[in-house]
Amino acid sequence: MKLPITLKVNGESYRLDAEVKRTLLDVLREDLALTGTKKGCGAGECGACTVLMDGKPVNSCLVLAVDASGREITTIEGVGGIEGLTPIQEALVDHGAIQCGYCTPGVVMTAKALLDSNPHPTEAEVREGLSGNLCRCTGYVKIVEAIMAVSRS
Amino acid sequence: MSYAVVGQRVRRVDAREKVSGRAVYAGDMNLPHMLVGRVLRSPYAHARILSIDTSKARSLPGVKAVISYEDTPKIPWNSAGFPPSPGAVLMEDQYILSDKARYMGDPIAAVAAVDEDTAERALELIEVEYEVLPPAMDVEAAMADGAPLIHSAEKNIAAHMPVVIGDVEEGFREADFVFEDRYYVPKVYQVTLEPCGVAVAAPDMDGRVTIWTSTQMPHLVRGITAHALGLRTGQVRIIKPPVGGAFGSRLGVVNEPIAALLALKSGYPVMLKYSREESFLGTESRHPITMVLKTGVKKDGTFTARQMTAYIDGGAYATHTPSFAGPVAGWFLAMYKCANIKVDNYSVYTNSTQCGAFRGYGNPQVVFGVESQVDDIAAALGLDPLEIRRKNHPCEGEVWSWSGWVIESCGLEEGIERGAKAIGWEAKRNRQAGQPGTKKRGVGMGYMMHVSGARPMLHETSAAVVKINEDGSANLIFSNSDVGQGSGTALTQVAAEELGLAYEDVMITKTADTDVAGFDIGSHASRQAYSGGNAVRKAAAAAKEKLLAMAAEILEVPAENLTVENGVVRTREGAPKSISVAEVSHKAHFGSHGHQIIGVASEEPEGNPPVYAAQFAEVEVDTETGVVEVLKIVAAHDVGTAINPALVEGQIQGALQQGIGYTLTEEYRYDPVSGRPLNPNLADYKILTAMDMPEVETILVEASCQTGPFGAKSVGESGLVGTAAAIANAVFDATGIRFKELPITPEKVLAALRAREK
Repeated sequence: MKLPITLKVNGESYRLDAEVKRTLLDVLREDLALTGTKKGCGAGECGACTVLMDGKPVNSCLVLAVDASGREITTIEGVGGIEGLTPIQEALVDHGAIQCGYCTPGVVMTAKALLDSNPHPTEAEVREGLSGNLCRCTGYVKIVEAIMAVSRS
Repeated sequence: MSYAVVGQRVRRVDAREKVSGRAVYAGDMNLPHMLVGRVLRSPYAHARILSIDTSKARSLPGVKAVISYEDTPKIPWNSAGFPPSPGAVLMEDQYILSDKARYMGDPIAAVAAVDEDTAERALELIEVEYEVLPPAMDVEAAMADGAPLIHSAEKNIAAHMPVVIGDVEEGFREADFVFEDRYYVPKVYQVTLEPCGVAVAAPDMDGRVTIWTSTQMPHLVRGITAHALGLRTGQVRIIKPPVGGAFGSRLGVVNEPIAALLALKSGYPVMLKYSREESFLGTESRHPITMVLKTGVKKDGTFTARQMTAYIDGGAYATHTPSFAGPVAGWFLAMYKCANIKVDNYSVYTNSTQCGAFRGYGNPQVVFGVESQVDDIAAALGLDPLEIRRKNHPCEGEVWSWSGWVIESCGLEEGIERGAKAIGWEAKRNRQAGQPGTKKRGVGMGYMMHVSGARPMLHETSAAVVKINEDGSANLIFSNSDVGQGSGTALTQVAAEELGLAYEDVMITKTADTDVAGFDIGSHASRQAYSGGNAVRKAAAAAKEKLLAMAAEILEVPAENLTVENGVVRTREGAPKSISVAEVSHKAHFGSHGHQIIGVASEEPEGNPPVYAAQFAEVEVDTETGVVEVLKIVAAHDVGTAINPALVEGQIQGALQQGIGYTLTEEYRYDPVSGRPLNPNLADYKILTAMDMPEVETILVEASCQTGPFGAKSVGESGLVGTAAAIANAVFDATGIRFKELPITPEKVLAALRAREK
């Protein structure tokens, strides 16, 4: 069954008919070609698909597209691109916190949500905030360093 | 030695595209009329296929291709990405789709359809009649009398590799003490964040096929895929876009032949993307190994005999395993000096998913056993654990028996000294007796050596082209198999350093394309900085030689008197004269010469300098819950010259996350009766989160070598090799209990504590 929905993504509205079983992640990636949001498990375990829904980080693989209708969705494409990176992104680049890059968009979204609500978190708060974003490349060391640098600035 | 670009913490060449989500991975691609591929997997761990009927699936609207064993070329092949070499034992026992199910998840058929739902429905319509056979899920079961044969090898032993140096029996007679212990290390997965197995294959009406794939080895995958399909090598084009991690999982063919066959049969591009569950079910893991180690030692800690008997569980297909047995023997025999060494390696088939490469390639397994036993030997003999390593490790100027070549440089002593200081070794050891309460702390260390390539066992060919552009910038064409480790950035730094250009002025091919770049083995054996770096440096040097020759003509000075730094060619001595690289190159392109300055190299490196590491762990063991908490890891690594220290640290830090997981939480398990995997997902297969990671301190020891580019050796794999031993030895220091099986789970700790109380 399909339902008409309006997805508000990165400030733009998209009207589309979505199968009720489809996830926000699949609609973002397949219908809107917003492939910056990654699918690492499809089960809410890895955090690679993290987007912001009304400012809060969610695993977009666990959200049905129809339930996201009318909500403000922010994906990595809405954070920083050719016009310039955000301080979080710059810090991740400068601290060498990026390796394969597959977890990176989710990490950026989680870090953004964390710093938006708590601009100066402690290291323990940063680690807790990141605990839903698995990374297999960095040991989280430089990711935490980068976010802490933004926290201190 | 100080350099302008080498040694700098420059930003990665691909950092901005990744941090902005703009990097397009294979699974992000979309081509006109692209179909969705799906694989039908065996529901049994061991079964004969009596019949397979795909007619209903074929007739489903929207289905464009259905393939089974009947449709695949009858060409046996081996998925392991090895160049034909003295150390490659490539038993060809695979087909694109199997005629017999040898593990639960073995690909039996595949479909390509217009969308995922149609593809799923088509899989349901394929009718397979199986004769279910009993599975053998571990080496004991597989080698037992009357065990079911998985292929035709007797007792399911695919290969047996004995190595004998000297006379171990004589060595054991000379020994004051003989230690004999059995160790077991489990099956673990690489768990790349991008699930392993993503390929988009597009057919070409002129008989070619292009495959965009998440791979570590573009050229070798091209060769194997072409062979499996019965095509000429040049008919297959492999493009490697950004890859979401590899760690060995993509070291060879994953699902490229299935994707390509679907594309060739349907005439359309096909995306074949494995789910997280499929990447567990159907792709290669680390090898479980049962090791029996026997060591003869004098009172002063001199080894008189060292022996390893190893039973390597290779899973359902040979792939890497008979070749892998070689380095397994090599890691063992080369890490400590001893006149008498014997290794017996058995490569055994079981009905588990085939095993392949995972960071360290057998070394973490062997080092866990060896370094646990050496720790016990030191304790029994009353020797300092650091001293017994210092005394027995092979060092600079000595022949390293892994390669048979002289060791170029050794930074182990410095690593041990700095690492011990950083962990607080003297103050924190042997606190066992004095610790009241239920939380016991201890420290331990493990040492390792690793390679900078696989020579002389395997060929290590790399190729590079450096083109100096008309504005003085340069392009580096390389089969860039950077899978996240940052080799593309390091190679760019090597080229810039050699050319005398700024880092920003050299641009590497971000992707690998086998139609464009020369033959390169790929990312394995921690080889990219060393082997790739040498080829890049030579290509850059060849370009620079031509550049200086032309500048010499323009400036009317001998070329030998010229040097190039920061984009400007200058005289070394005499009257100061200079000209920019841009001006020379512009004149080359558009002056009377009419050519571009291009340097080319295709070669194998001269050597294979080993790297060293000493890792130290501090742990706290909770004797009420059995939980082992790692408080701190100090990883002191001799990497040779660190081309980019930030990348080097990142390699070690990330490897530690995998190494701690290997030690404490990770194990892929099967039901021993049915052969059903028990934890093919990230909820039940536990990798460490940001909250689980301890404090990590990396120490870089830069014992530069002669044959590496600017003295670089390697780092990629070595970061986790010694970790399990360091932690297990720290647990021993904290509790007095020796754990000989990984992972060291709370259940095992509690059981051991209870057993001791009795």
